[in-house]
Amino acid sequence: MTELAVDTANRSAVPWFKNKKLDQYICFWSVPVFYTLFGLVFVPLSYMMPPRSPAAGIAEVVSFMQSPTLLIASAILILVLGLSAVANACYAVQIRRMSVSPVFLYAFLAGSMVGAIVGCLFPMFCFGLGAFRPGYDPEILAMLYDFGYLSFIGSLGCFCLNWGVLSLAIVLDKNAILPKWLGYYTAWQFATELFAATVWIAKDGPFAWDGLMAFWFNIVIYVPWQIIVYVCVFMAIKNQSETELYSSELESAAPNEKLAYS
Amino acid sequence: MTSTNSPAVNLAKPASATSGRVSGESSMWFFIIGDLFIFGAYFVSYMYYRGQDQQLFLEGQQHLDQWIGVVNTLVLLTSSLFVALAAEGARNGNRKTALRMLTIACALGVLFPVLKMIEWLPKLDAGLTPGESLFFMYYYLMTGLHLVHVILGLIILGFVFRELKTAKHPNIGFVETGAVYWHMVDLLWLLLFALFYLMR
Repeated sequence: MTELAVDTANRSAVPWFKNKKLDQYICFWSVPVFYTLFGLVFVPLSYMMPPRSPAAGIAEVVSFMQSPTLLIASAILILVLGLSAVANACYAVQIRRMSVSPVFLYAFLAGSMVGAIVGCLFPMFCFGLGAFRPGYDPEILAMLYDFGYLSFIGSLGCFCLNWGVLSLAIVLDKNAILPKWLGYYTAWQFATELFAATVWIAKDGPFAWDGLMAFWFNIVIYVPWQIIVYVCVFMAIKNQSETELYSSELESAAPNEKLAYS
Repeated sequence: MTSTNSPAVNLAKPASATSGRVSGESSMWFFIIGDLFIFGAYFVSYMYYRGQDQQLFLEGQQHLDQWIGVVNTLVLLTSSLFVALAAEGARNGNRKTALRMLTIACALGVLFPVLKMIEWLPKLDAGLTPGESLFFMYYYLMTGLHLVHVILGLIILGFVFRELKTAKHPNIGFVETGAVYWHMVDLLWLLLFALFYLMR
């Protein structure tokens, strides 16, 4: 508690650009930028979301897959996808501070990398490719459409791992970096991923990729979770003692390195 | 926010402290209440789609074996009873009894996934897969999600066992947290059993 008080006093004395947590705050504020672009791409620019029906007729699929804004939307998301790595780094920094095995951190990082590739890059390539050259066979476009939505909504294992690892790390952590209830909330994310597995079987009804059980319930759980988790991560950055920061670790390590090289 | 949840520490309290307070950790109650809401929403959707095509759901139900459902229910209820006895033993400082009761509860808990496999595998072999009809999709998913809860519960009970076995002063709050979770798993099964096996 006294450390925190000292931190607060120091913080008010130093200008913002000399804040030792500036790196973390920059990473943190890139997240709303990423999600705003994410939302713009998926809703008004391409109308990919809410998901179109897997039972859509071939004419509807072709007109969607060859709309000019779809190509722009795909290009934007492919370009800014790197920001998702920054967003995941925000979680990773907090997992590193927890009193759990480093295995959790490495598993989380590997899972989030696979998740970004399969869950975001693959669909964007599919939708972008469909819009890239006019005159593709409608059957090929229909397959790219299925591929795009299946990889976006039905890519499960990596996310199951991600949420499972994050949830368990928060619950097992004895440093109380993130609140325990958030660990349990994250466990529901794991459960919703299980329900999304049905998109590989059902082509209509509540378990299809645009269905109540496979998509809408998951969205109702996911969206508040995403907001809450970032508020909690922000609080965790804010409450982190400056003596615990990486930069101070690096500074203290630097003289020894110099000695080693001299 | 970060300081509100204290890490698992020794909370061995005198017997008088057990009255007039909620059993288990508050974060677990958050999970349980939320979990019940989520399952509740799934149950409402099941009822809605059942109402849309009652015949299809009734036909699917004919393939379920009510007896294995009854055995599952008895196994879980008995297991819950032994978990409650284990928590009671731990509260009274009777560690040996608590461990013995918990072992029986875990053994019964392990039986549940085995029974589920005995129930599922012949059905899958007979072609009654999740893709067969909307009823079977609901059946496998809901009972599967419950099974995930059972497996998680067994892991939690494993940690409770370790706590009772190795801790110098077992954390009673943690023992109760595990017990409360196990009771929720039990409650969810009762609802699943009624909706999927019994309702006509």
